[in-house]
Amino acid sequence: MKKIKYIITIIIAGVLLVSCNEDFLDQRPTSFLSFEDLAETALINPSIAEGNLRGIYNQLVTAGIGGTSAQEDFGHKSFDMISDLLSSDLAQVGARYNRFVALANLLSASDQTVNIPNYTAWRFYYRIINSANLIIASNGGNEAIPDSDEAKAIVGQAKTIRAFAYFYLTQYYAVKYDASAEILPLYINAGEPGKAKSTMGDIYDQIISDLNAAISLMDTFSRPNKASVDKNVAKGFLAYVYASMGQSDKNTLAKNLADDIINSGEFTMMNKDEVTGGFTQLSTPGWMWGFDITIANDLGLVSWHGFMDYYSYSYQAVGNYRGIDKGLYDQIDDNDIRKFQHGSPSGGWTPGAAPLIPARKFYNLDLVQFGQLPIEDDYVYMRVTEMYLLSAEMNAVEGNDAAAKIRLKQVLANRFDNAADYAYVDALTGQALVDEIVFQTKIEFIAEGKSYLLMKRRKLTNTRGSNHLNKVGTALSYDDPRLTFSIHQREITDNPNITEGNK
Amino acid sequence: MFINILFKTFVITNLNKQIMNTNFNRVLTLFLVLVAQIFFAQQKSITGVVSDSSGPLPGVSVTIEGGTSGTETDFNGKYIIKASTGNILVFRYLGYKAVSKTVGNSNSINVSLKQDANVLDEIVVIGYGTTTKQSFTGTASVVSSENIDAKSVSNIAQALIGEASGVSVTRTNGRPGESATIRIRGFSSIEGNSDPLYVVDGIPFTGDINSINPNDIASTTILKDASATAIYGARGANGVVVLTTKRGKIGKSVIEFDFQTSMNRRTLPLYDLVDNEEQFMGLVYSGLKNSAELNGEADPSQFALDNLFADRGVAPLYNMWNVADGNALIDPSTGLVRSGVTRKYTPTNWADAGYRDGIRTEMNFKSSGGTEKTKHYFSLGYLNDEGFIANSNFDRYSTRLNVTTKPIDIIKISTNLDYSYSESNDATGYGGGNVTYMLDFIPTIYPLYLRDTDGAIVNNPNTGEPFYDFGDNRAGNARDFSSTYNGVGEAIYNINRTKKHNINGNINFVVDLLEGLTFESTYGVNVYSSVLDQTRNSLQGSQGVALGGTLFKRNITYMSQNFNQILRYNTKFGEDHNFDVLLAHESFVDTFEDFNLSKKGIVNLNPNAAGSPENYLDQNGVSTGSKNDSSLESYFTQANYNYDNKYYLTSTLRRDGSSRFLNNKWGTFWSVGAGWIVSEEDFLNSSDIVNYLKIKASYGVLGDQGNASFAGQGGFNIENLLGQPSLAPRPVVDPNITWETSNQFQTGVEFELFNGAIEADLDYYIKETSNLYVNKRLPPSTGDAIILTNDGELLNEGFEFNVTGNIVRSKDFRLSLTVNGEMFKNEITQMPIENATGNAKVVNIDGLYAQSLGSSIYDFYTKEWVGVNPENGDPQWTQHWVDENSDGEYTAGEGISDYMVYAAANPNSLIEERLTAVYSNATDKYVGKSAIPTVRGAFRLNTSYKNFTLSSQFAYSLGGFGYDSNYAVLMSNSKVGSTSYHTDIQNRWKNPGDVTDVPRLYSNENIRVNASSSRFITSSDYLSLNNIRLGYSIPTEYLSKVGLSSVNLWVSGDNLFLFTDRAGYNPTTSITGTSDRYTYNQISNYTLGVRIKF
Repeated sequence: MKKIKYIITIIIAGVLLVSCNEDFLDQRPTSFLSFEDLAETALINPSIAEGNLRGIYNQLVTAGIGGTSAQEDFGHKSFDMISDLLSSDLAQVGARYNRFVALANLLSASDQTVNIPNYTAWRFYYRIINSANLIIASNGGNEAIPDSDEAKAIVGQAKTIRAFAYFYLTQYYAVKYDASAEILPLYINAGEPGKAKSTMGDIYDQIISDLNAAISLMDTFSRPNKASVDKNVAKGFLAYVYASMGQSDKNTLAKNLADDIINSGEFTMMNKDEVTGGFTQLSTPGWMWGFDITIANDLGLVSWHGFMDYYSYSYQAVGNYRGIDKGLYDQIDDNDIRKFQHGSPSGGWTPGAAPLIPARKFYNLDLVQFGQLPIEDDYVYMRVTEMYLLSAEMNAVEGNDAAAKIRLKQVLANRFDNAADYAYVDALTGQALVDEIVFQTKIEFIAEGKSYLLMKRRKLTNTRGSNHLNKVGTALSYDDPRLTFSIHQREITDNPNITEGNK
Repeated sequence: MFINILFKTFVITNLNKQIMNTNFNRVLTLFLVLVAQIFFAQQKSITGVVSDSSGPLPGVSVTIEGGTSGTETDFNGKYIIKASTGNILVFRYLGYKAVSKTVGNSNSINVSLKQDANVLDEIVVIGYGTTTKQSFTGTASVVSSENIDAKSVSNIAQALIGEASGVSVTRTNGRPGESATIRIRGFSSIEGNSDPLYVVDGIPFTGDINSINPNDIASTTILKDASATAIYGARGANGVVVLTTKRGKIGKSVIEFDFQTSMNRRTLPLYDLVDNEEQFMGLVYSGLKNSAELNGEADPSQFALDNLFADRGVAPLYNMWNVADGNALIDPSTGLVRSGVTRKYTPTNWADAGYRDGIRTEMNFKSSGGTEKTKHYFSLGYLNDEGFIANSNFDRYSTRLNVTTKPIDIIKISTNLDYSYSESNDATGYGGGNVTYMLDFIPTIYPLYLRDTDGAIVNNPNTGEPFYDFGDNRAGNARDFSSTYNGVGEAIYNINRTKKHNINGNINFVVDLLEGLTFESTYGVNVYSSVLDQTRNSLQGSQGVALGGTLFKRNITYMSQNFNQILRYNTKFGEDHNFDVLLAHESFVDTFEDFNLSKKGIVNLNPNAAGSPENYLDQNGVSTGSKNDSSLESYFTQANYNYDNKYYLTSTLRRDGSSRFLNNKWGTFWSVGAGWIVSEEDFLNSSDIVNYLKIKASYGVLGDQGNASFAGQGGFNIENLLGQPSLAPRPVVDPNITWETSNQFQTGVEFELFNGAIEADLDYYIKETSNLYVNKRLPPSTGDAIILTNDGELLNEGFEFNVTGNIVRSKDFRLSLTVNGEMFKNEITQMPIENATGNAKVVNIDGLYAQSLGSSIYDFYTKEWVGVNPENGDPQWTQHWVDENSDGEYTAGEGISDYMVYAAANPNSLIEERLTAVYSNATDKYVGKSAIPTVRGAFRLNTSYKNFTLSSQFAYSLGGFGYDSNYAVLMSNSKVGSTSYHTDIQNRWKNPGDVTDVPRLYSNENIRVNASSSRFITSSDYLSLNNIRLGYSIPTEYLSKVGLSSVNLWVSGDNLFLFTDRAGYNPTTSITGTSDRYTYNQISNYTLGVRIKF
């Protein structure tokens, strides 16, 4: 056989230019639920759709939800704390770590370049509004009345939340109730671009209409737990809204709503043991609305407890103290259980001692300094005692002294052992009675985010007691521009339809 | 005789199935049915020896021009190749001039190669192949491995500082084992990805660059222009760093060992702080007194004295003097500490306790060699790099095996495989306990160790060791600076350790199908897996103690796979027409997964058990984890043509599909490039002045897919509400988001003059990025603050130079100077649309910078500082205003908060200017400064004398500005005791009439004096000495007797000095020159090394 001289190349190569399967480029996120995946999941598990509504309740407690990474940005309760400090009923006592010191020194709210609270509150409440708008839109829009009870309850809750958010915005960003003042942009549909400011009257109309709709939509709704709002919570907010308008007919409406809630029997006012029992459980019968914090919420320092509870891993524990205004404290009757809520926790508990922090009002039950982490003690947003005192206040303002005293004494009966200690109430009339109810409201709700609303609706001037770090002895009027939040520069820059703040 | 061969399909199905989920029903198969013409020409074996002036040369490539077959010379310089009469054999060897010989009657061709001083035939590794410097139409910087070897760095990214014009390398972190940020040609994106693509041995590298031992890198090429990078399409827009690792060569096996040891220390300058405790207390007094005065206290001085050691001042625990209180410490008439006051103790210097000299040790062992059929390269490396912070170090063990084999003539298979294991202990502390922050910035009065009221150090009764002061004293006596933290104590007692395994590998398969036609396929993987353990001990530190010890554990796994198939064809027609083309498909997929858990309540205190979750009692927060997948599919083609080795043309087309986009996945990218070797023309051919001159130009369109894995996919965060799923809406997305594209034009010239005395590359480019990724600001009232979208256009235009002067080139003495640099401008040419108006947004404010038409993305937009009012010491800023009520004077409410927004809305207004002492009244505006420098780059001075070599590299930047935020913190009016002061605070305003730039000092009043404004915008000019190295080679005559082929010894230093506008301000640690308190400063390194070759 002839030797082949040349190598024959027999390698065969095929070249395959392969296109991949069309789903090769279809990647979906697994760490969150995309719109597509939600739709597919809902086919298998329809109840997932209710998760949208629950999402709002989680947003209320989420750290950083105000759009910053600041530790003072922890949702609705952060603004409760800020407004308490601005009202001066809660004093910034300790300077350590400087958290909230500038804010309590009234340097922050009036500066439109400062994020806390001016950006965070705006960002937070409008984010909640947007979430509510999305839910309302997906259930047929603002005018629709859904067929099913489930859907009615969802829309009712969403409208309550929207009203709640607008109400707080009006309180924080407007100096006072003035129906014609242009104060806030009003969005009731999802996806609208930046709008111009609407008048306070228009905003209030929307709030009132939403709450009335919500009350009716939730008429038969029985909530799974008190993290959700229900008819009574909506009525509670409507009562506050009416009360904030400073009009006689509205005061009566507010009083009626408060009485409705009390008479519904859903709640039992917190008693003496409970108001010194830690405020840790959403199941407390006197709580109307709150949040049951679990380990799943992953809250630590950046939380209300991280700033208020000495027995959590907190700023309170390192001496960044916030406590009751000394002037207010001194006025509390010695037999009033609330006298024992405030004091000094270092080296054992000493009621009445500086720094007067509410460490026997709000406290982790283990009573270990720095002890609670992650946070599992709950948040309270609204409790039924507010309705007793609001009813009393509205009655007193409208001259129904007798009715006012009944409501007031119902509260005091739960704060004193001996009725003789508060018998002085019987002698009060007129403005003195109103003043007494205002005082009782202040000390009842120290550090619960109620003082600022009270200050604005009663047009109070609060004078700082001796334990404040700054502005000791200064009398601050409800309309002092340093107490009202400024529309943040970011909105003015990025919204072509808003060119200036409200002050 | 002709034989027709029908090619069968060669299906690589298994691999395809695995990584591409191939749908065979939809396979777009290109069957190449090729007819081979195997013809009986006069083919014969040619043999010969290739040598240079010193003898035979192994490893010279011998190829037949226009063909694909080739071989290499063996150790004796011999080769054997089959060729036909009339074929041209080309002999190439790196650093030598290529030689061509025509096959005649003789069967033996011996060749002598001459060294090419110009190295113009230098092989340049580019995308999907190699080329020569001469024929490359794009712009690439080849970084010499010598320059990289000179530096004591742990990864290639750090080594690239200053090595190439237009390539800015920022070491944001000096921690051992940290990588670096690379920016090529300016800032071409705002929110997109700006990092270059790494390509290692032909495969896009998405693993950890730290896993590649720089010692294993044979060549580093940085591809810069469209012609060079378009073949990487989607990933090429920001430039490409192409690395190839070392391979064995035919010939004698080489064994090489090197060892180096260095000292790591902190020598770059620090801020000049008030470091005397008595002086510091004088400032505390001053701040308190001024605040008391401002607040109308009756007796401000007394108020300050009473509060000096109290809540408003410094915690009483930190009274380190033998006095009871502030009244006894401070003399109010001078405002200083009274003479005669003695100390209970002197606080330990934190920096002395926490910083140290670290030792860096590096050893590498390499072995390489090969036969004609198989070549190998093997390496083993060990690096132990200790940081200057106690307990911080980076250890790495790396191995590599690269093998090339030719099982039969027409098939070549190569593999590159490396494995590395690294362990980094990073004792940085948590949050405010960040070690460098605490050590560099803690006010001088605070002690390191816990002291009792007598000033004595408190020891742990159980261990006898001193307690560190965590500043969390339970009586509200806390330290105002980083309370609950102690950086040194945490560095010593806590763990922050990452263990990481890396595997990178690829297999490459090349078949010669036909004359000029080859098929090539490469499959590559990058895999890493890491475990992070972070513990807080249960003995010291408030949170760790309160929770009984905590563990945070994080596991990450990452895998990417890349698979390509390439068909190449090259041919020659006529005399001088050379043409080659490639056609390819590539697919890429990667997966990132992480898992995190937190526990608390440690039981077993053996330090080895601290990382074990079972050793803890309770959950500490939720366990989390995520998974991210992405995939990319591409088709591409490239064609090169040259005529007479004078005129070169390259064109590239690539189509990419990315999973990152929801609706618009596909993009098409392309480029064309041309080169003209002017010096080959007759009129320059014999010039004595111009040895080489090339002019080139290119244009192309490239893409970038951004950083977001699921851009365009909105949805809900999954939360838990009492066991029920709770879905919180995520930020709004743009479902139509797609490729950011950049159109790039560049032209350049390369030349060499006076026999190589001067070599230079000059390039000019224009890069216009459109469909920009922008984080468009929305009015927060809409419920969303930001949307990532494609909108707007950005222009980058730049000039780059790299000039080398070979000043002396005698036999014994050589001296050269290389200067490189870049000058560029960056301009927004179209702004994103404002949703509410449908018009272009006037301004998009992004921190300290603002984007607007005609500005750069790094033009400072903030409040304008105008110094201090001499009357009262108040700060002053510019406020613009408009006289709305026409009363001729400023009235409250007439101010403008945002100049651009106002001026655009009110074009006809007369805008006036005044001073304001109220920060929030000052107007945000462009202040006329930019972070972009006029020119920046590096220069290198190298010299050698006989066996000594000395090299040095300096980096510089001129004309830019950075924001010195550290200085702002040190000039603050926040609470006394919460911050250190820069010594400049001594120049503060004290009395009416004082003319100074430092306002009156307060405590917690007038706190906006150091808020963002032009006050802290500082020149970012700098000059730094990055590297200097003195080497010595032992003459070979001494070595041959002991069987060694070479021995090199060297001493070197890295980061030895830095000159900036303010001592301590280091603009090189961020791309914008902004300083940051938490930066681990760059390590200065002093090295002694030896390299031995057998």
